[in-house]
Amino acid sequence: MRKKTQKWMRMLGVAALTAGMLTGCGTKAAESQGGGAAADSAGSKTTGESAASGESVASQETELSSEAVIRAAAGDGKVGNWGLGNEYEVLALLAKYDLPVEYLSQDFTMDGFDDDSITLASAMTYNELGLVKNDYDGGYGYGDTIGIIDMNDEGVAMMEDNIFCTKAFAAENPETVKAFLYASLKGWEYAVANPQEAAKICYEAGSSVSQEHQSYMADEVAKLASTDTKGNTVTDIGNMDDDAMQQTLDIAKQYVTLDDEAANTAFQSLTLDDIRDKTFIEAAKSSDGTFKPEKTEVSIQLKWLPDAQFMGYYVADALGYYKEVGLTVNIVSGGGDIAETTAVNNGTVDFGVTWETNLASADAGGMDLVEIAQIFQRSGLVLVYKPENF
Amino acid sequence: MAQKRKRKKRLYQRIRENKRLQSAETVVLPVMLGIAIFLLWQGGIVHQWFHTDVFTLPLPTKIGSIMGDNIDKILENTFSTVSVAFIGLALGCILGYLFAVLAAVFPRIGSGGLGIIGAFASIPVVALAPVMNNWTRDLSKEASIRSMASKIIVVMLISAANMSLNAYRGLTEVKPFSEDLMAIYTTKKRVVLWKLRIPNSLPYVFIALKVAVPSSIMTAIVSEYFAEYITGVGRQIRENIVLAQYATAWAYIATACIIGVAAYVLLMVIQGLTLRRYH
Repeated sequence: MRKKTQKWMRMLGVAALTAGMLTGCGTKAAESQGGGAAADSAGSKTTGESAASGESVASQETELSSEAVIRAAAGDGKVGNWGLGNEYEVLALLAKYDLPVEYLSQDFTMDGFDDDSITLASAMTYNELGLVKNDYDGGYGYGDTIGIIDMNDEGVAMMEDNIFCTKAFAAENPETVKAFLYASLKGWEYAVANPQEAAKICYEAGSSVSQEHQSYMADEVAKLASTDTKGNTVTDIGNMDDDAMQQTLDIAKQYVTLDDEAANTAFQSLTLDDIRDKTFIEAAKSSDGTFKPEKTEVSIQLKWLPDAQFMGYYVADALGYYKEVGLTVNIVSGGGDIAETTAVNNGTVDFGVTWETNLASADAGGMDLVEIAQIFQRSGLVLVYKPENF
Repeated sequence: MAQKRKRKKRLYQRIRENKRLQSAETVVLPVMLGIAIFLLWQGGIVHQWFHTDVFTLPLPTKIGSIMGDNIDKILENTFSTVSVAFIGLALGCILGYLFAVLAAVFPRIGSGGLGIIGAFASIPVVALAPVMNNWTRDLSKEASIRSMASKIIVVMLISAANMSLNAYRGLTEVKPFSEDLMAIYTTKKRVVLWKLRIPNSLPYVFIALKVAVPSSIMTAIVSEYFAEYITGVGRQIRENIVLAQYATAWAYIATACIIGVAAYVLLMVIQGLTLRRYH
């Protein structure tokens, strides 16, 4: 009995020691973070002073900054992106200023930006940018102190979220495709007009993020779906703009290198007509809303976790638009390493949401995919920086 | 009668008893199995069994041709993965063994401490890798160096846990009579450790290595997913799958297999040379 208690005491002792060591590390880290925060506030103070010293200087600074910031960050090797097919706009931007096309791999948090290991970090306007700016749960609370470089302004925008399916599915089920597009676009139109209501619908449909972040996202996604790369308002939701899509394909051809020789050759010879089909969206737009779908139960694979990035589909489902055209739609969540192109190509799901580059490279590799609508009309990628770092 | 027996021997027994043929058999059968799998794969039968297509499971010839075309790039990534795996493995094994010796010398603290080390072994790499990324952030200005350090630390922790648990068994589970003999000679603790415990632990070290070598390669590959600096076989697999380039991804998967098999064969050879006197 005594021996046993002794043993337990010893175990406890060792456990306490390790726990002590671990918490020790924790406080140290917290301290250093605190120090960092102090330095930050000092930094913002100096910028405040410089701003006060003269407005003309400040405006000159902001005008200069975009290129200067990119050059400085690239010189330090502190430009960040997630990679995995998200990096081509950043590569094109670096190449535009004749800088080495290299970047740091960013994880799915903005901690690297927060602790300055990445001084020019990638962010999607509707997600990470909100976390950096806002101070709700999970946010970093930088407010408007941060600087933003927009890929659309820099002329390297690439087209993101679209709707696609396989060419074979589209050929066999044209009415289903038209009906799905009709209802989905109706959902998107409603969501763009009423983003806050759409955010609520997404949140109730099993959102992956907080309600506050969801409503921020909905506002930003609405902007992406209704503004083109030049900043003009788009009323024609889902339109496949030739110039924007061609620009995407051109940049992709320049910066995507496929190691598979056959696929690479196929990729370089792709044209817009190989990867998109306008007939379905035209038919859907001119339709009166009655369809005879060949397949009534369909599914759509999202590119990421369920949130307002995909609000159009949730709205169409919640408001019964899919039911009106005779469809039952199953919205399949994505995330992490879900390859939406593969899921659609092998028939696990009928429709999918992906980016034009992913679709083009998948087709070059031998898949049979076709884009049927372009939801986001402009790039949602921005680079964020803290002005005090430059 | 005699003739009958002779004929029987000719037909079957002679083959059975021929030592040369027997040893040839151990080589020929696995090779034949390999060829059979290759043919089934190349012929598309495997695809039928698994209800898949040549797109998601590319043909071996296609994988081979991509490996041939990109040999430089593959070697570069292999070097990065292998150096992380082996440096981490070496450091981890030394650390783990030292810990096991400490635990064997001070058994009271040691047995409890080993429990905690064991808990380390069961932390998933996906949880450990981002933590180490943050920890090594201030280590160097060069992303390639700090990211390599963070990967090495992850591999080190996983292999250290493996090694210390096994080595501790080898150091403590000595034959009772040898322990008694040492007691009769009133040998010092230090000498018992040096002459009895450490030699006794050697086979256990190899048991640990048999697990630690493949797991160090696996850990290196997985931690590449999270690394700041983009390099390595694992990262290439992921990048290519996202772009739906399965044939290229499979070329890197095959590379990972080759690294694993080569490391295991190397380990077996070293074990054969080192443990000769134990058999």
